[in-house]
Amino acid sequence: MVAVLAALMPLADVVSTLVQAAAGPLFVEFPFERTYVLSIIYVSLYVSLSAVALSTLFSVPVALVVGFTDFPGKRLVKAAINTGMGFPSVVVGLVVLFAVSNQGPLGELNLVFTKEAMIMSQFVLATPPITGIALASVTGVQADVRDAAFALGGTRLDVALTVVKEARYGIATAVLAGFGRAISEVGSVLIVGGNIAGSDGVSKTRTLTTAVQLEARQGRYETALVLGAVLLVLVLAVNAVVVRLGDGGQMR
Amino acid sequence: MTLRADGVTRAYGDEVVFRDVDLRVPQGEVVAIIGPSGVGKSTLLRLLGLFTPPDEGSVAVDGTDAWSLPTDDRLALRRRVGVVFQEASLFDASVARNVEYGLRVRRSWRERVHDELRALVGTTELPDTARDALDVVGLADYVDKPADSLSGGEAQRVAFARALAYDPDFLLLDEPTSDLDPRNTAVIEDAMTAAAERDIGVVVATHDMNQAQRVADRVAVLLDDSVIESGPADRVFENPRDERARKFIDGELVY
Ligand SMILES: Nc1ncnc2c1ncn2[C@@H]1O[C@H](COP(=O)(O)OP(=O)(O)OP(=O)(O)O)[C@@H](O)[C@H]1O
Ligand SMILES: [Mg+2]
Repeated sequence: MVAVLAALMPLADVVSTLVQAAAGPLFVEFPFERTYVLSIIYVSLYVSLSAVALSTLFSVPVALVVGFTDFPGKRLVKAAINTGMGFPSVVVGLVVLFAVSNQGPLGELNLVFTKEAMIMSQFVLATPPITGIALASVTGVQADVRDAAFALGGTRLDVALTVVKEARYGIATAVLAGFGRAISEVGSVLIVGGNIAGSDGVSKTRTLTTAVQLEARQGRYETALVLGAVLLVLVLAVNAVVVRLGDGGQMR
Repeated sequence: MTLRADGVTRAYGDEVVFRDVDLRVPQGEVVAIIGPSGVGKSTLLRLLGLFTPPDEGSVAVDGTDAWSLPTDDRLALRRRVGVVFQEASLFDASVARNVEYGLRVRRSWRERVHDELRALVGTTELPDTARDALDVVGLADYVDKPADSLSGGEAQRVAFARALAYDPDFLLLDEPTSDLDPRNTAVIEDAMTAAAERDIGVVVATHDMNQAQRVADRVAVLLDDSVIESGPADRVFENPRDERARKFIDGELVY
């Protein structure tokens, strides 16, 4: 995470230089602007990467089980995955907020307006697309390749690991798609995180998306632009990787 | 040591493929299963390879009925049998990674993690048995090639080497030369007889009568829904007892 931030520092600087060139000095007007922007990037990446990592650990085994075993309610699970892909994020945020609120089942944990609550809601949002795409790619692995793994002395676990390896480009695409959804989502993180930044200008639960929304509403267009540009670069970079992977994984 | 099927019956739904088939595979011999397309040769190999249980009858290794055992114990029996399917079915990785797969799954998880990490930095050393197996099929120079860059025939030979690499007691081959030219067919046929000389029990399913004649010590003729003739290759080819078997061998029975 520190390394990622270090890599992003020049990026934020370049973007702010460009904006300054176009709209006048920015960091001079707000002395803590740089800390502010960097802390927002940190919160965004921390929340989205954590949610996507957890979601991947959950989704890939689920995709394997749904793809290769039979159990009652399997069609229901598939329907849930498909419905979940288009689930409105504000509703997810609302449900998570109820869950972590004082009266909710997780009320004891005091998670209202925390990064952890944001990770929870983004986990819920990222899981359907990640599971759906992972499911399509693991079931795309030919039956005779699975048979070969078994024939060569593999256990069921070995066969599953082989399937994951064979489907690695599809699974990577799933993870990146989940990240794309998480990092650019506003509704649920606003509701469960509360868009909080401290008086010292350090973001607590403010992400790139919620910050852009706030800065734009308050008329601080330069800051909004810097934040928006960083978000755009992140999303474009992820998309570029997805397109590369879509080439049939020629990155070997 | 023997691999044997006793009175096995196999059906897909209501379709009975064959019933009451007996087959004995001693170590050190090549057994050919011949029969027309669609008769159930591949299905019989899947039973011998302990993929699926027979609907009736038993499959035994060394006198132990495999399907009377719990899964873990059956795994130990299964790991003494190598199976090569009709399609090469190589993994999307280098030839080396393909050929050492069988060795890899037999290692401890600790070793396997080390292995994966070494593979990431590209410093894996192919074990001798895997190298020898590639040598046998004439592809020793192909170690670092990606599997998806191979021709159909090369892939089929790698698939053969992959099963030979972990030194099984029995080797089951399903049409192992269907994609090969005469020269490479000879390579694989020599590999089969060489394997038998190393005391491996080899089963080859084929509809190439000449191949069966060249390599087999014993032959089983699968026709309609049962083995109608079986015995030493010389005897079956020269003097078949069953009239339909004789016609099939002479090419008079057309399917
Ligand atoms: N998974 C399956 N489900 C249903 N029927 C099957 C299945 N696999 C094979 N069969 C049927 O069982 C019969 C035997 O098939 P099998 O593949 O064992 O024949 P084969 O002798 O190997 O043929 P070939 O020489 O063409 O490879 C065929 O009629 C086939 O259609
Ligand atoms: Mg077949």
